[in-house]
Amino acid sequence: MFSPGKSTFSPRRTATALLAAVVVAAMSACASTAPKSSGSSGSSAAGSGKTFVIGYSQSNNAEPYRAQLNLQLAYYVKKYPDLKLLPITDAHQDSATQVSQVQNFVQQKVDVLIVSPNEPAPLTAAVQQACDAHIPVIILDRSVNTDCYTAFIGGDNYTIGKLAGQAAVAALPSGGNVAELQGILSDQPQIDRDKGFRDAIAGHDITIVYHQEAKWLKANATTIMQQWLSQGTKIDLVYGENDDMSLGAILAAQGANKADQIKFLGIDGLAIPTGGIRAVQQGSMLTTFIYPTGAEQAAATAEAIAHGQSVNKKQTLQTTQITKDNADAVYKQYDMTTKS
Amino acid sequence: MTDTVSGSAGPAGPAGPAGSPDMQDVPVPERPGAVERLRRALPALGSLQSYIGLVLVIAVGVGTKGAVFWNQTNLTNAITAFASRGILAVGVTLVILTAGIDLSVGSIMGIGSMTAAMLLVHHGLSPILIVPACAAVGAGFGLLNGIGTTWLRIQSFVMTLAMLSVVRGIDRQVSDNVAVGVQLIGPDGHPTRQAAAFAKLGTPGHQLVSGSWLPLFGRAGVGYPLIAFFAVCVVFQLILSRTRFGRHIYAVGGNPVAARLSGVNVTLVVIAVFTLSGMLAGFAGPIDAAYSASADPLAGTGYELDAIAAAVIGGTSLAGGKGSITGTAVGALILTLLDNVLGLNAVSDNLQLIIKGLIVVVAVVLQRPGFLKDAVEPLTRRIRARRG
Amino acid sequence: MRPDQDDDRKTDGEAGAAVQAADSSPPLLRMRDIAKQFPGVRALNGVDLTVHAGEVVALLGENGAGKSTLMNILAGVHADYEGEIEIDGEPVRIHSPKQAAHHGITMIHQELNLVPELSIADNVFLGRELRTRRGTLDRKAMNRRTTELLAELGLALAPHRLVRECRIAERQLVEVAKALGGRLKVLVMDEPTSALAAAEVERLFAVIRSLAQRGVGVVYISHRLEELEEIADSVTVLRDGSYVGSRDVGAVERDELVALMVGRPLDNLFPRAQEQRSDGAVRLEVSGLSFTPSAAHSGTALHDLTFSVRAGEIVGLAGLMGAGRSEVLESLYGAKGPVKGTITLDGRPYIPRSPRQAIRRGLALVAEDRKSQSLILENTVRFNTTLAALNRFLRPWRTVNRRAERAVAAEQNAALGTKAASVETVVRTLSGGNQQKVVLAKCLLTKPTLLLVDEPTRGIDVGAKAEIHGLLDRLAGDGAAVLAVSSELPELLGICDRVLVLCEGRITGEFHRDPQHGPVAAQEAILSAAMARRAVLSPSPPLVGSVHD
Repeated sequence: MFSPGKSTFSPRRTATALLAAVVVAAMSACASTAPKSSGSSGSSAAGSGKTFVIGYSQSNNAEPYRAQLNLQLAYYVKKYPDLKLLPITDAHQDSATQVSQVQNFVQQKVDVLIVSPNEPAPLTAAVQQACDAHIPVIILDRSVNTDCYTAFIGGDNYTIGKLAGQAAVAALPSGGNVAELQGILSDQPQIDRDKGFRDAIAGHDITIVYHQEAKWLKANATTIMQQWLSQGTKIDLVYGENDDMSLGAILAAQGANKADQIKFLGIDGLAIPTGGIRAVQQGSMLTTFIYPTGAEQAAATAEAIAHGQSVNKKQTLQTTQITKDNADAVYKQYDMTTKS
Repeated sequence: MTDTVSGSAGPAGPAGPAGSPDMQDVPVPERPGAVERLRRALPALGSLQSYIGLVLVIAVGVGTKGAVFWNQTNLTNAITAFASRGILAVGVTLVILTAGIDLSVGSIMGIGSMTAAMLLVHHGLSPILIVPACAAVGAGFGLLNGIGTTWLRIQSFVMTLAMLSVVRGIDRQVSDNVAVGVQLIGPDGHPTRQAAAFAKLGTPGHQLVSGSWLPLFGRAGVGYPLIAFFAVCVVFQLILSRTRFGRHIYAVGGNPVAARLSGVNVTLVVIAVFTLSGMLAGFAGPIDAAYSASADPLAGTGYELDAIAAAVIGGTSLAGGKGSITGTAVGALILTLLDNVLGLNAVSDNLQLIIKGLIVVVAVVLQRPGFLKDAVEPLTRRIRARRG
Repeated sequence: MRPDQDDDRKTDGEAGAAVQAADSSPPLLRMRDIAKQFPGVRALNGVDLTVHAGEVVALLGENGAGKSTLMNILAGVHADYEGEIEIDGEPVRIHSPKQAAHHGITMIHQELNLVPELSIADNVFLGRELRTRRGTLDRKAMNRRTTELLAELGLALAPHRLVRECRIAERQLVEVAKALGGRLKVLVMDEPTSALAAAEVERLFAVIRSLAQRGVGVVYISHRLEELEEIADSVTVLRDGSYVGSRDVGAVERDELVALMVGRPLDNLFPRAQEQRSDGAVRLEVSGLSFTPSAAHSGTALHDLTFSVRAGEIVGLAGLMGAGRSEVLESLYGAKGPVKGTITLDGRPYIPRSPRQAIRRGLALVAEDRKSQSLILENTVRFNTTLAALNRFLRPWRTVNRRAERAVAAEQNAALGTKAASVETVVRTLSGGNQQKVVLAKCLLTKPTLLLVDEPTRGIDVGAKAEIHGLLDRLAGDGAAVLAVSSELPELLGICDRVLVLCEGRITGEFHRDPQHGPVAAQEAILSAAMARRAVLSPSPPLVGSVHD
């Protein structure tokens, strides 16, 4: 567009460039990126001498929850000297990418495969392939549509939602208005957390006056909350299906000088400076619930599988409610920056 | 009167058919009437169609939500939420005017946002130092875009698409995929001085100019994002319409060969607009960080599409050579008020996406040169015929 | 009355069989009372045009007279028009180019309708691709047929060559080949020879004659009266959108035609400067200029050119297409990158590096293709006029003084006679001649001392042509040096003091207006020098061709 001069058209140069591009693309597709999660220390295993290789396919490193999960998994795997964690692959929220990454692990014949599926349906076939190749599979956090796995470790979003609803009831003894900030409507966690909450508040004098999809994002929640606040209907409590959305709503309320009149609930409970536990510590958020990563359990399960022990097929993780009382302790417990 | 030919081509003129040797062909030297001056000034203010669109959106807002929509708080909130994207739109407009495209502005804004947060958290700098630093970082990436597009002869679509990815990767790497909060609390339990200063960059509720100074704006006052957005619009519209550099931008977009043969340094102009686009994206970073009270490694994802949509709705042609910053500002206003109206009416997000996409298509079609004339011409002809 | 020149290019007999409508069969094409209204202007009003089978009808008129509009209606570009069209006596309404093609009407526009990124064969068969039995493109057949068509036109180009790599003259012949490849009853040609050199024009005429003999009706739009005399049977004149009259070519004189076109007799087409003004100070001195085409800069190679141009002189550059004339101008202007050789301007050394620098040294270039090289079409007259000279209007704080700019642009365009409603008119809507005037205005605002013009009057009507010639004359008279490339030999003979002839990148001849200075310029002499392919000459040119007396 900017070059007024003419350029000669050279088919051979184009072909070479194309070939180079294809090679680079193929190589980068195979490469996996991982933030800091190196494998466990050396292979010098005291005793058996064999090291078991674990491959973990993560759906989206960019989510803070999953970034924490990765850190925790690396940390807990290191506690087992005979476990080695390969670099965690990141599917960037793309199911097709994750399928090929899972298939890569199968090709590499890992001893244990851990998968956090981006979506159930597309990953079902890949998990099935791993199963057919006699590789034990641990499904972490989100489900697939096949039973051919060794263990499912996940939280129970419905229960958490219900607990949140009960917290809301406790916070509004004489009833009140609730505004609900929802995640991506088609995500299963959203559906579960929403249903659990509504079931818990049913029968009490609590009305959901507003609910809107904020797609798990903080900035969206701020804008939506500002619009709600300008509408006139009183809001007593804001239920954000994740901490980020609640925090966004808190910002909006603070900006409108209404933060003191509203209570805020969240879910996730990550031990990071921009997370829910810190907000509860500071008093801006009423309570949040840890959505457990399951990293500790996954590492333990992987060790058990490697040594041929039987494990529970379905392990439901417990949540912890964070209030002002236990916020400090819990934060210290899960703060990954102090651990390595 | 700028050279922003925003769609309606000048007619052959009321001076009569060309070719008649007796026709007075000297343009009228005396001052034209008020109507004529308004007509000439219109293209500088953006296309007529985009103003109509703005009025329509406002009408729908007032019609459906009345005073809930049309009050200072709501309008300020809405524009403030869109301010960073609006600033991106200004930068993108400059690039599009030269017949290029900049897909990396969202990522550059993201890294600007992260840079701002880190400068605050790790170095305790004040906004006066942070903002220019982030602008400089953005300018650096923009410069790379410009060099790639000119010296390396990479098409701007490809170059900025690659930069989108590279910058996002750097952003995530530098932050280790963890968001950085900016609401630092001091030992006394209150925000630190630096954090309080930073909050003035756009955290909701923190105004730069309080209401007591400008009674026009009511009690709430005016925030930095709003001021920054409008300042950027004014400055760059003046640059486009009043300076030689602005002329050169239009020339390069209109016909780069003719521009070069007329003595314009095309390479320099292109590098300059990409650098400015990156600079503005970096400049918008701190605003985003303040608004979310944290810098997210994914901040700005998808913002480039909103920026381009605002420019297109405002009358900027992707073929280059046509458009204006005022038009983009109107386009940005349309998008943000549309967001607001749809949100207030609790329209589902899916429907919002559909509506926004349709608006872009409609806006582009309506701004085809002569569209209004073609639509109105048969009517006026019939009226004239009937009148005899 | 034929002009005073030896016109041995004329073939025997009048062009084409002068088919009279003596027989009762209806004319091939009859357009009756055609009118067309555009917003704000009535482009055509009650225009008639009749073409018989095998007849070549010239359509004449100043720019803006309505010729293109009339032909666009015939070609289906304008769907709504008033009046009737009959083909072979049958009334038809032509609403789209496809319908026009269906009726056997093909138009070759002055602006070529080719796709640069496709090959010649692809362009020739665009929309009419040949397919194999399997349904895929039959490239072999298309290439073969394309080669045949090109051969008819005397072009030996490879059919798979990209149009983007062809020069304007070659592209035009490809357009002609494209028209010849389809069904043809009426062929309309709009200024087809404006980019062709003399030999190619002859070839084109031969093709037209053969078409006419086959019964095709040809409408030929051109400003070159001498060509019309040679190729056309009758002439239809339009003026200001109205029909003025029709004449048989043999029965009308040139001056009468011109008078019909402009409504008044023009004294002369070219300002008659009797004396040769080659005694001013040397402004441009070129020694050993050489240019080698590369990937970044394409074109004809130039080999060791040595010449000079004096202040007050108009020097012409003649030659066949591809001789390197445009390359000379562009090299001097700095548009072709680094070149070898020594160049001095007014005695000071000059190394062409960029157009910007050239403008600063006092050069100005009117490029060959104004639409793609000289104008920002979507912008206004004012914008285009002042683009190269914005420094003159900068205020101390670097903004443009809009009022001064508008005034100067208006004044300059008025001086050139640009017909536009105002300086805010979009350039795209102007006619070719007026667009060229805007380009000239832009050049003049930089106050050049050396003016480089490439085909200054291509596609421009007679009236504007004379104006531009007068302007060049005046500029030379005021002390500027002018180097002009032109394919119209009469034009060169009319305005130039000296004519340099190029052939394949070398100077093969130098001719003068005044016999005292050297060999006199004459059409045959120039043409011979232009075709002297292998002759590499020393700076003192031999006497080639006849001396005019």
